[in-house]
Amino acid sequence: MAHASTLEPLASPHRLTMLEGVDEGVNTCVHCGLCLSYCPTYSELGTEMDSPRGRIFLIASLAEGRIALTDSVVSHLSLCLDCRACESVCPSGVPYGRLIEAAKAEIERQRPGGPLRRLFRWVNFDLLLPRPRLLGLAASALRLYQRSGLQRLVRATGLLRLLPGTLSAWEALLPELPPWGGGTLPEHVPARGAVRARVGFVEGCVQRVVFGAHNQASVRLLARSGAEVRIPREAACCGALHAHAGERQRARALARKMIEVFERASVEAIIVNAAGCGAHMKAYGHLLRDDAVYHARAERFAAKVRDLSEYLAQRPPVGALGRLPLTVTYHDPCHLVHGQKVRVQARQLLQAVPGLQLVELKEADWCCGSAGIYNLTQPEMAGRLLERKVNHLLATGAEAVVTANPGCIIQLALGLRARGSAMKVLHLGEVLDEAYRRGGVGEG
Amino acid sequence: MATLTESRKNTLRRAIQAIVGKSAVVSDPEELLVYESDGLTLFRALADFVVFPTSTEQVAALVRLANQEGLPFVARGAGTGLSGGCLPAEGGLVISLSRMTRIVEVDYDNQLAVVEPGLVNLHLSWAVGPRGYYYAPDPSSQQACTIGGNIANNSGGPHTLKYGVTTNHVLGLEVVLPDGEVVWLGGKMRDPQGYDLVGIFVGSEGTFGIATKIVVRLLRKPQAVKTILAVFDEIEKASEAVSAIIGRGLVPAALEMIDQVTIQAVEDAFGCGYPRDAAAALLIELDGLAAGIDAQAERVGAACVEAGAREVRTAKDEAERQLLWKGRKSAFGAYGRVSPAYLVMDGVIPRTKLPYVLRRVNEIVAAANLRVGNVFHAGDGNLHPNILYDPRRPGEEERVVQAGAEILKVCAEVGGSISGEHGIGLEKMDYMPFIFSPADLATMHRVKEAFNPRGLCNPGKIFPTKKSCVEVGPAYRAHPIEEQGLAQRF
Amino acid sequence: MQPALLDKVRGIVGSEYVLTGVELSPYVLEGRTPEAAVFPGSVEEVSHVLALASEAGVAVTPWGGGTKISIGAPPTRLGIVLGLRRLNRLLEHEPGDLTATAQGGITLEALQAALGARGQWFSLDPAFGREATLGGILAANASGPRRHLYGTARDLLIGVAVVSADGAVVRGGGKVVKNVAGYDLPKLYIGSFGTLGVIVEATVKLRPLPDDDRLVLAGFERLKDCGQAVRLVLTSDLIPSAVDLLDGEALRGLGLAAGAGVGGALLLGFDGMREQVKWQCEEAKRVVSEAGPVEHRVLEAYAREETWRLVREVGRRAFADPAAVLQLAVLPTQVTEVVEQAGVVAQRNGLKAAFAAHAAVGVVTAVLADGGDSAQPVIATLREWRELVRAAGGHAVLERAPLAVKEQVAVWEPPGAAFRIMERIKAQLDPKGVLNPGRFVGGI
Repeated sequence: MAHASTLEPLASPHRLTMLEGVDEGVNTCVHCGLCLSYCPTYSELGTEMDSPRGRIFLIASLAEGRIALTDSVVSHLSLCLDCRACESVCPSGVPYGRLIEAAKAEIERQRPGGPLRRLFRWVNFDLLLPRPRLLGLAASALRLYQRSGLQRLVRATGLLRLLPGTLSAWEALLPELPPWGGGTLPEHVPARGAVRARVGFVEGCVQRVVFGAHNQASVRLLARSGAEVRIPREAACCGALHAHAGERQRARALARKMIEVFERASVEAIIVNAAGCGAHMKAYGHLLRDDAVYHARAERFAAKVRDLSEYLAQRPPVGALGRLPLTVTYHDPCHLVHGQKVRVQARQLLQAVPGLQLVELKEADWCCGSAGIYNLTQPEMAGRLLERKVNHLLATGAEAVVTANPGCIIQLALGLRARGSAMKVLHLGEVLDEAYRRGGVGEG
Repeated sequence: MATLTESRKNTLRRAIQAIVGKSAVVSDPEELLVYESDGLTLFRALADFVVFPTSTEQVAALVRLANQEGLPFVARGAGTGLSGGCLPAEGGLVISLSRMTRIVEVDYDNQLAVVEPGLVNLHLSWAVGPRGYYYAPDPSSQQACTIGGNIANNSGGPHTLKYGVTTNHVLGLEVVLPDGEVVWLGGKMRDPQGYDLVGIFVGSEGTFGIATKIVVRLLRKPQAVKTILAVFDEIEKASEAVSAIIGRGLVPAALEMIDQVTIQAVEDAFGCGYPRDAAAALLIELDGLAAGIDAQAERVGAACVEAGAREVRTAKDEAERQLLWKGRKSAFGAYGRVSPAYLVMDGVIPRTKLPYVLRRVNEIVAAANLRVGNVFHAGDGNLHPNILYDPRRPGEEERVVQAGAEILKVCAEVGGSISGEHGIGLEKMDYMPFIFSPADLATMHRVKEAFNPRGLCNPGKIFPTKKSCVEVGPAYRAHPIEEQGLAQRF
Repeated sequence: MQPALLDKVRGIVGSEYVLTGVELSPYVLEGRTPEAAVFPGSVEEVSHVLALASEAGVAVTPWGGGTKISIGAPPTRLGIVLGLRRLNRLLEHEPGDLTATAQGGITLEALQAALGARGQWFSLDPAFGREATLGGILAANASGPRRHLYGTARDLLIGVAVVSADGAVVRGGGKVVKNVAGYDLPKLYIGSFGTLGVIVEATVKLRPLPDDDRLVLAGFERLKDCGQAVRLVLTSDLIPSAVDLLDGEALRGLGLAAGAGVGGALLLGFDGMREQVKWQCEEAKRVVSEAGPVEHRVLEAYAREETWRLVREVGRRAFADPAAVLQLAVLPTQVTEVVEQAGVVAQRNGLKAAFAAHAAVGVVTAVLADGGDSAQPVIATLREWRELVRAAGGHAVLERAPLAVKEQVAVWEPPGAAFRIMERIKAQLDPKGVLNPGRFVGGI
């Protein structure tokens, strides 16, 4: 009468060898389920395979060999945003981000996907992202594409439907790029006034090309805070996108390069204004835990990493804040609030600006659907989450939404544009920089 | 369910899809696996299908289908339960209510709301909070557990000391009966005529049907709240303070105890401000009128100091208050930091027996060579000894289960109960005879016959009626307390 | 009933505790005289009597203080009246546990006296506490003004022992304040009017006696203003233990109205710590003032108790010779409107009516004065009232009326879809239908 049965253990060839170190992580989960209602995908779908507890259970079952990496298992694990909202509420302290990245790496190892998808990944992850100059070139081509009217033509003809799903998603996400010449930052920016610190600044790959203005604003703020800023040209890409997508080897290589570059720069803090990069770099120690040469160096590097808001909250820029009469709301980037537990700093900095009114956003710390390249790989779920986010944004009645991550900025702008909203999407650095500029003291 | 043939399974799947649509049914083995447990991992059972209806009509159609096909079915909320109550003990359908999450109506003037069962408990309070109202029952899992699940278990929580449990806040239920008929029990008006079917349905652990709409009372938020932390160097003194507070004619909104093992786990988790070196702390909340609340707080403080508290302090602001509560409410989960698994007991005792029973709990657990963390509703006498163990160590699970049974025996002996809020489910079926006579159980069984004569609705729960079909640990084996002769199945 | 059976019953309880013939006059029910009234002295005796009666198929009508015996349809069979007044002991009271266990036949007054001596009380305040028994109060689900804050029997009863139809002693619930082991059987017996079992023991939750207790009476010109005052109170910070509303007729009938110009009054109960009660009385005056009271009194001690007693007994006291009492339940916001309309209906039928309501829970007692020789106006009024309540979505029970009226006006509402479950419960627990047959909803 044994109706209920558990699955038989799988034969050993199916057991996952690459699920490194997940044992400890999955055993920390006591199955309490407190994470469920904070998971955006569970919230949308109501299916526990798409909840943190469920995914941990799947990963555990994979590791134990109870199940194989079937299509459905892959689909549930791939649907995870890796936003790590669950980590913020997990009483047991399950290192969820590490588990899901290990699982995604395993998926990537076992099933690298179809040829077009592979090509797309190769172009982005191997070719463009680590090579700023090439990425810049690609961006120029993109600009040409946008300005030439070709984009309109392609969109109008429905040519996109012929592209594989992820490529058409990529196209829709293209930001309206600023005209060329946003300017490259010099490798060395002196402090304004007395030198109080020497810091490094990570330009980022996407950030550098697409949002050069944010970087310039950020560096001006750092200089105002008395920091002498080093911006090493070879610091290309931190590898965060690669890690989230399961491209572990590539991610490790990029991390090692970052470590070397900033060791040479000898700085006391490494500042980054892209939340995804920051969270990833703070976890270099774990990424390189098995690397005898780099592990300790990675830990030292990680200890120096600060988000821009985190740093400025501790060392506020010198000078008067000008009046900025603007009603804004703040969207917490997942990898800042959940990945780095940086929640209050940006709000405090904004609230200090005279004339600026900060309205709290419902579900401010929920993922907007951007999630690295998630909006490319899972366009449908990304769209649902974006819709939810935009509804909340519009409900605030704010003139602008402030955030601190390039992926979020692109995603939010896209969502607002689609709804015909005039709400601006601003980087925290831009807002603060503008406020200090208006403060006007010694602006040069 | 391993006994379903592939072709029957396909037929059933098509029939289910015809009701709920393709994207609302799960039947891949890997996916079903995720639903094999609830918050208690000691028991596992696989469903044949997990289905996600979005309306009362769909639930009713699914239940009718199950009746036609003779398929067992069980409703599931968030799966945060701690007794295995929502497991498909005999296979069949798991009807997940996670897509029925609407707040159908809020009537502030009459202080009530109509909600769907999948609504997360805390989300109701969030929704009505801006207007100054809240939903009082606050199980520790309220951030995730659903109101439908609360109905099944008659869930409590810290604030039930003053405000009562779920049943005290439910006015009416739209229910899909076990044969598929949709009826209303109670409604928005008080004192419905006839037997109190709402009262008997709440806490029936899903064996009387599936609630698809719930009318709940909303309360006005209190004018003032004061949260006091009393720190003790001996757990005995803390338990004496509980009686001292009650004895002084004070009825706090909540009166919780948290011991050192638990304090250390939650401090690791969230740094909530409990002193790590304390043997025990009492978290005491007073609420209501601003007038007199300071005087009450003084009386509480004095009672604690007299009982031997080394420190008594009041949360200085809402943020500190929330943090203290976060620690308390996350305690179960936080055990994950100190142990790979734990078994939470849910015995209730008369408040005055607290010092004696806590001593016995420690003796029992120590004799089994295990560790225990205590975090519980002291004011209600609702204990939660959490026995920590590692299921990978051979024999440990059996020792845990047996120690748990002994603890519940002690609770029964002092005039208490074997469950205060978690329910009997699969876990405590065999302990029912600790507190109920055959005549008591027979009466309950007759009531079940009235609702659920075919027994398809959540079978194999509550009553020690037959051999369980559920996996305990790696494979079926006799329940350890059976082996000890403490209980038997019949 | 066979004489042999009666002898057996005498053998069980002693012949002095078996009444027959003319001694049965106090137990005449709806014009019918029972065959015997039996007063067992222990649970065992109750059990034996029921087992015997059940075997012989003789109907048994449990009888506590008889204060609610008028509720119900005329019995289909009347055999033994089972008087519980000898089961009158307080079995357990541990003040530190805030619980007490007593036998079903203890009067409320005796129970409160014993508890009060140790600083506690059972927070249920139905009418006629001197006669009403604990078991009877539970079986009739009787309540009083303080249900507003402290709830009804279902909120206070935690354990129960009943003797079932076949004589088995069944326990449900327990002695602890929180308990979810098994089905919540105590709920089933509350308000079941003895049709499922005879309540022989009950364990209830207690409260500490308040330091202070006052009644605030605010009189208004119009009932409508009372309604407004209720809403003001409910949206204030006040925490009254009772929120009762009386119309002008009820006020005059109870001798509570000061002037003829008072069309209704709001009665608020405040109990607790002295400081709180004082604040609440002052705040109540301020809150209610917005509705324009013409009279305001604060009553203490004897005056307070006496006033509450009269209000509770409004069904018997509003008129010298009331013809009928209807208890109805509507939404709290509907109370004043329903009362006003019901008043108009009575007037149109040439009858005087008085109304008292637990306003914030929507429970109204409507009392109809005697209309003279013909029952017709009473019947017509009751029927119209029923319609009125039904139109509001509520329900009503005819608490008291002469047999001639009950023959024309149903005591209960027609049962709804869930009735078949009730019938099945009855069939399961009392398969021979010996317990109080015919009196309950749907003829149960």
